[in-house]
Amino acid sequence: MDAAITTPEAAAVPRPVRRRRLLPRQLSGSPLALAALAVVAGWIAVAVLAPSLAPYRPLAQSIAGRLQPPGPAHWLGTDPLGRDILSRILYGARLSIPVGVIAVALAVVLGTIIGGTAGFLGGAADEAIMRGTDLMLAFPTVILALVITAALGAGIRNAIIAIMVAWWPSYARLVRGLVLALRDREYVQAARAVGGSRLRIFLRHVLPGTISPVVILSTLDVGHAILTFASLSFLGLGPPPQIPEWGSMIAAGRNYLDQWWISTFPGVAILTLVLAMNVLGDGLRDLLDPRFRSR
Amino acid sequence: MTLYRYIARRVLLLFPMLVGITLLSFLLSHAVPADPVAANLGDQAAADPTIVAAFRHHWGLDQPLYRQYLIYLWNLVHGNMGISISTRQPVLLDLRQHLPATIEIAVAAMLLSLVTGIPLGMLAAVNRERPIDQAARVASLVGVSTPVFWLGLVAIVVFYAHLGWAPAPGRLSPTITPPPFVTGFVLVDAMLSRRWDAAADWLGHLVLPAVVLSSYSLGIVTRMMRGSMLEVLGEDYVRTARAKGVTRWAVVVRHAARNALIPIITIVGLSFGGLLSGAVVTETVFSWPGLGLYAFSSATSLDFPAIMGSGIIVAGVYVLVNLVVDVAYAFFDPRIRVA
Repeated sequence: MDAAITTPEAAAVPRPVRRRRLLPRQLSGSPLALAALAVVAGWIAVAVLAPSLAPYRPLAQSIAGRLQPPGPAHWLGTDPLGRDILSRILYGARLSIPVGVIAVALAVVLGTIIGGTAGFLGGAADEAIMRGTDLMLAFPTVILALVITAALGAGIRNAIIAIMVAWWPSYARLVRGLVLALRDREYVQAARAVGGSRLRIFLRHVLPGTISPVVILSTLDVGHAILTFASLSFLGLGPPPQIPEWGSMIAAGRNYLDQWWISTFPGVAILTLVLAMNVLGDGLRDLLDPRFRSR
Repeated sequence: MTLYRYIARRVLLLFPMLVGITLLSFLLSHAVPADPVAANLGDQAAADPTIVAAFRHHWGLDQPLYRQYLIYLWNLVHGNMGISISTRQPVLLDLRQHLPATIEIAVAAMLLSLVTGIPLGMLAAVNRERPIDQAARVASLVGVSTPVFWLGLVAIVVFYAHLGWAPAPGRLSPTITPPPFVTGFVLVDAMLSRRWDAAADWLGHLVLPAVVLSSYSLGIVTRMMRGSMLEVLGEDYVRTARAKGVTRWAVVVRHAARNALIPIITIVGLSFGGLLSGAVVTETVFSWPGLGLYAFSSATSLDFPAIMGSGIIVAGVYVLVNLVVDVAYAFFDPRIRVA
C-alpha cells in the first residue's frame, strides 16, 4: 500500500483487474441485489414498451370517466380529467428514466472538466476552483434547482439544467480527489520519467483512470436525480401538466384526498424504481469501499 | 494546534465564505433571462413604458450589475435586504417570520432520526449480515428513496382524511390565536405567554411533517452509525474489554457506541442541507409557513430580493451549522485538530 491510499477518494479507485471479477460475483450472490436488478430492468422495459403495454392513450380525457376508483376497466383508477392512471404511469417511465440519466451525465461531464482542471493546474488555481465548488455545495440542491428552474422557466430542459448545475460540484470534488491520488502512482511517474509532457500525461494516463470510478459512482445517483426531477415537477417546475410525469401526477391528487389512488400509485412507481437503483448502488458502493468489504 | 486556534481559524474562514454566498446568490438570481417586470406587473402596466421604467428604477434594475451587487452588499451589512416585490415587506422581516418555522421542523426531524437511527444502526452492526442488519439496510434505503412530498400526501390522506388522528395541514389550528410574536418559535412564544393550548396544538401539527421529513435523514444516520460501529467494534480496545470479561452489551454500549457516535456529529451537519431541501417540499405539502414555502413562492414570482435573501439565509444557516459541527467534532476527537 502506498501512502496515497489514505483519502476516501483514493480508496474508491478500483483495481481494474480485480474489480471486473469481483463485482458480478459478489452482486449475484445477493438475492436483494438480483431483485433490484430485475426491478430496474423491468422499468426500462416498461419505458421502451409503454405504447404497446398501456391500455389507454395517456392523454385521452373522459369527463364521464373522471375520478374512477381502481377497477376492472381502469386497474389503477382515473384522474380528475378521466385519464387512465396506469397508462400515464407507464408513459411516465419514458420521461423520468432518460431525464435522470441525462441530468447525471451532464453533471458528470461538467464536474470532470472543472475538477480535472483544478487537479491538473494545482496550486492557486486549484484552490480558487475548489473554494468556488464548496460555495456551490453550501446551497441545498432543491433550493438551487428551484431558483434556476423558476428563473429559466418551468420545463423538462430547464429542470435538467437545474439538476446539472446543482450537482456538478460533488463530481468536481470526486474527480479532483482521484486526479490527486492517481498523479503519484508508479505508472504516471514512469510516463514522466520517459519524458511525456504534462498535458499529455494528464490526458492519456491520469484522466482515463478517473473515468471508471466516476461512471460507476454516478450511475448510482441516477435514482436520486429521478427523485429530484419528480420533486421539481411536483412543485410545478417540470413539464406542463398534460405530459404524463410522476411528480406532477402526485401533485394532481393534492386536492382530491378522498380519491387516494391519484397520488398513491405514481408515488409507488417512483419508490420502486428509485429504491431498486439505490439497492444496486448501495451494494456497489460497499464493494468499492474497502472499509465495508467483508473480510 | 490547540482547540482555540482551530476555532479561530474556522471562524475567520467563515467570512470569505459568507461573502461568496452573497455573490453567488446574487449572480444566480440575476444571470438568468427571466424578467421580473413581466412577473410582477400586470399585462396593462407592463405594456406602459413609463410604468416599466419607473419599476426598473425603483428596484435598481437599471443600474449595471456590479453596481447592483455593491449596493446590495452595502445594504446587507446595514441589516437591509431590500423589500420583497411581492409581499411589499422588508425581506429581513419576512425571513424572520418564516425561518423559525423551518428550524422547528428541521430540528424535530433531525432529533427523530437520531433517536431512532442510532439504536437501529447499532443493532444492525452488532447483528452484521444477519436478518436484522438486512432489514435495517432495506429500511434506510426505503427512507432515502421515498419522495417526501408523496409520503406527506399519503400521511395526510391516512391520518387526517381517513383516521382523523392528525389535525388539518398548517402550523396552528385556525381556532387558536397565535401566541404574541417574540422569538417566532411557537413553542418558546407559547411558553413565554403561558399559552399551553397553543403549544399543545402546535405539537399536534408538528408530528406528521417532522416524521415525514425525517424519513430521509433517518436512513443516512442509520447507515453511518452502522458503518462507524463496525469500524469501532474491530478495534483492539474492544477486544481487550471483551477479554477482561465485560459483557457483550456493556462493551457495545459503553465502549464502542461512545466512540462510534463521534462521526455521527458530522452527519448531522451534512444531512442538514438535505433536510433544508426536503423542507421546501414538505412545507408546501403541509402548508407549513416556513422558509421553504417562502423561497418557493418568491422563486415562482421572480421576487429577486426575496430569492436572494432566502438563498443567503439558507446557505448561511447550512455553513454555520457545519461550523458548529466541525468545532464539536474537533472537541470530541482531538485527532482532527492536527489534520
